[in-house]
Amino acid sequence: MNEKRKIMMVDDEADFLELMAKFFKRRNIDFETAGGCMEALDRLGQGKFDVVIMDVCMPGLDGLECMAEMKKVQPELEVIVLTGHASLNVGISGMKKGAFDYCMKPVSFDELLEKIVLAKEKFSKKSDW
Amino acid sequence: MQRIFTLLKQRLFGQSRPSMSSEELRTDFTRRYAHFRNLLTANNNALQAMAELEKVYYGGGSYRMAFVRSKISTILINVYKMISDILAMSDGKYADLETTFEKISNELDKIVARKHDFVQGPLILTLDKVRRSDRDQAGEKMANLGEINALQGIVVPLGFVITASATRHFLTTEHIAEINRLLQVFDSEDLDDLYKTCEEMQKIVMDAPLPPDLEELLHAHFNRLETESHSASRVAMRSSALGEDTAGVSFAGLYSTFLNVEKHEIGDLYKKVIASKYGPRAIAYRRMRGYRHEDIEMCVGCLVMVDALVSGVIYSRDPGEQESEVMRINATAGIARGVVDGTTVTDLFLVGREKPFPVVFSEIRQSQDSGKEQLSGSASLTYSQIRKLAETALQLEIHFGQPQDVEWSYDHQGVLYILQSRPIAATPAGTKEKSRSMQKVAVPGESVEKPLLFGGISASGGIASGEVFLVDSDKDMREFPRGAVLVLRHPLPEWAPLLGRATAVIAENGTEAGHLATVAREFGIPALFSLPGAMSVLTSGQTITVNSSGRAIYQGRREELLRQNVAKRDIMAGSPVQRIVTEALQYITPLNLNDPTSSHFRSNWCETLHDITRFCHEKSVSEMFNYGKEHRFDKGTAKRLVGEVPLEWWVIDLADGFRQGLDSGSKMVRIEDIVSLPMQAIWRGISAFPWEGPPPISARGFGEIIFQSTMRPDLDPSVASNMATKNYFLISKNFCNLSVRLGYHYAMIEAYLSDLLTESYVTFRFKGGAADMRRKAVRARLLADILKRYDFRVELRSDALLARVKKQPVEYLEQRLEILGYLITHSRQLDMVMTQPHAVEQYREKFLKDIEEMLSLKESTIGESVHE
Repeated sequence: MNEKRKIMMVDDEADFLELMAKFFKRRNIDFETAGGCMEALDRLGQGKFDVVIMDVCMPGLDGLECMAEMKKVQPELEVIVLTGHASLNVGISGMKKGAFDYCMKPVSFDELLEKIVLAKEKFSKKSDW
Repeated sequence: MQRIFTLLKQRLFGQSRPSMSSEELRTDFTRRYAHFRNLLTANNNALQAMAELEKVYYGGGSYRMAFVRSKISTILINVYKMISDILAMSDGKYADLETTFEKISNELDKIVARKHDFVQGPLILTLDKVRRSDRDQAGEKMANLGEINALQGIVVPLGFVITASATRHFLTTEHIAEINRLLQVFDSEDLDDLYKTCEEMQKIVMDAPLPPDLEELLHAHFNRLETESHSASRVAMRSSALGEDTAGVSFAGLYSTFLNVEKHEIGDLYKKVIASKYGPRAIAYRRMRGYRHEDIEMCVGCLVMVDALVSGVIYSRDPGEQESEVMRINATAGIARGVVDGTTVTDLFLVGREKPFPVVFSEIRQSQDSGKEQLSGSASLTYSQIRKLAETALQLEIHFGQPQDVEWSYDHQGVLYILQSRPIAATPAGTKEKSRSMQKVAVPGESVEKPLLFGGISASGGIASGEVFLVDSDKDMREFPRGAVLVLRHPLPEWAPLLGRATAVIAENGTEAGHLATVAREFGIPALFSLPGAMSVLTSGQTITVNSSGRAIYQGRREELLRQNVAKRDIMAGSPVQRIVTEALQYITPLNLNDPTSSHFRSNWCETLHDITRFCHEKSVSEMFNYGKEHRFDKGTAKRLVGEVPLEWWVIDLADGFRQGLDSGSKMVRIEDIVSLPMQAIWRGISAFPWEGPPPISARGFGEIIFQSTMRPDLDPSVASNMATKNYFLISKNFCNLSVRLGYHYAMIEAYLSDLLTESYVTFRFKGGAADMRRKAVRARLLADILKRYDFRVELRSDALLARVKKQPVEYLEQRLEILGYLITHSRQLDMVMTQPHAVEQYREKFLKDIEEMLSLKESTIGESVHE
């Protein structure tokens, strides 16, 4: 994790985003947040990201719809889906729709970090092709 | 992806079958290898999550729904990945796996998301109309009380129940959604966060407006009680939760109770009782006992206050000694609150269970005079009161079919009121607690050392050791470390959230009748109460051994005492979460596809997620192996290991496992041509010592034995397959997957050695073969013991063993691989001696000695000593 990574987390919970931002900042990881899908798309318009961590359950466009929109803008983007008390199948649906992996809330930081590393590796390989 | 496959197929199998350039082949192989690696990783992850789920399920400890969800999701997602990878590797050959997977994941989703069917009913029920069958509306406690009310000769206070329907009317789905959101994000291990989240959730409840129709009904029923009881202007408001239907689960003292409630307070206090569902005690308790928050619905009972002269608790059987024919009564002047709060000193009476209910023991701890006909100068109860209590308790026990824990009050007119009756939460069987009268007191001198403290009341039997942690404030509470001995001034119910972390609890005050005592018994944690001076004699950080059954506390860890203890009982038994796991496991762990040579070893025979992982794993190995064959890529793939190696080992190079410049056309490879780090390490272990012992070794020696084993798939048809009858190393420079059959055993070693610690791992799976289950289990246990010594994390289920080490330096993992190489070779001889404990012990010693010797031989050279 020495290399700087550009990561965005999309979630409608401000407290949670703040907590995650602190966590990533401590690890010197380039981390941005978006409170909803529209904001996430705006950010994507301003610059590219390697990995997006996306809460599935959000008001307005839900996470999976948002993922589809973002992939239209940047197809090689890797998305890790975040699910809470949603049904078990949400994670699988996310994978079917092109998510790289998914995590459950409450989030284990280590697990998330491991998945980000793997997603980033996959992203790099794709970008190399 | 499909396009590439089609292209590849056309190029490889087309009429002219043009050969791919070595670069093209390498690229395609790399892609396939990547899928293979992903599949193996997913396989590991899925099996590990299955093992973790099974471990908690069979372990008898506490686990939460969040854990269950997370493990099931991990399993699902990894199985899904395996399917995607095998489809990519096999050109979509096993597409029906997707259908099976979808069916299973839908079933699991239904099981995990299952909710109660809720039927809307009246907002208020009068107690005289309530029976057991009204649990869904009135909650456990009030439904029981309604049932008791209908029994001949038993009096309960007048009252009514604010039903579960009323709670649903009060708390809307929006409120619940908001609360669930808070529950989702809070950190369960952080007590500060627990308190903060609880406060927020309770505020949501308190801020919710009481619906006007409900408020009106509350007042109307309060007025009715006043009229019917002629005098009542105050009620007791008691929680009556719904879903507490498991035997042995007390839910004691978790929710709020309010006494002497006046009419103008009833609305607010109703909300407070409801809000207590989200108190720290309740949240922590549900988590420990396997209840989801949605499993519990709150109802509230409003009972006319009894003008109590004397109150208390009667146990129709002594919880400490249920086999003895004794009932136990704790009594105190006034209302019963102090008894169950653990704050009041009570009189104790042990009463025979048969008429005329003789008092076999009494201890008058209170000094007040309760009037005439006393048992002794200052006893709180008269003999006739005791007899009436005993009769009533037995009547309740007979009615409910099991020993009861009954709360009661005598009013000033001498009328006995029953306030609550529930099954007794007993001390776990086997912890040999003696009730007070018959307690075998640990006599100083009997042990070598004098106890630090001695005496008190054994509120929950058992023996445990840990570091003292004095708790006198909320702040202390938040810092309470797991595994410590909780030392308190008063055993208040407020401390209950700590019982999941504490190894024992000591208090200067309190009795066996308090809520905290009940919860301690439920959790099987020793509790020693009424021990004055505990807070000053004991200091935080000091290690002690608590012998609650012997009413003594010793300095240090006393192994001889701890050995007398037995395991805790299954704390989750019968809980909703456990039921969910029981059902879910049916779709996850059973393995139906265990014989790869069987005609049933097909994708459409997969019934469980475990079947799918087994199938995908087997087929992925075939796909990798057949790659060369199907793609005319045999040159340079599977090669037979030759040289000083007279046995059948095959090696498939996945990427860069052979030394550079090796003749890729050769069908053979020598051990010195292999540069795979993990394979070299395993080989060092395999070849470190000659195999010896029964069966008698032939003149041709070790190699011959191994050779026979590898060539005799008939020894264990359950695991025989094309892949399994021979032993295959699949290697790259850093990776090795060895599937090995040595006679009766099926073992798999997989390792990835990398300088990046997070990537490195060694996994070992071992499954016994032909011997009967008991012998197989003995062998697996022996291997597990040895591996544990070398810091493997070991999961053992019957004869199946899974051992792992990960995130360690390469050199360390290489040593682990050497150990595994040694064990797969030499554990075979155990088959002959499994019924002789003495011989097993000898082998254990020999194995350990050999391993130590092997590890100390730095100069061990690859492939050197396979022969005798």
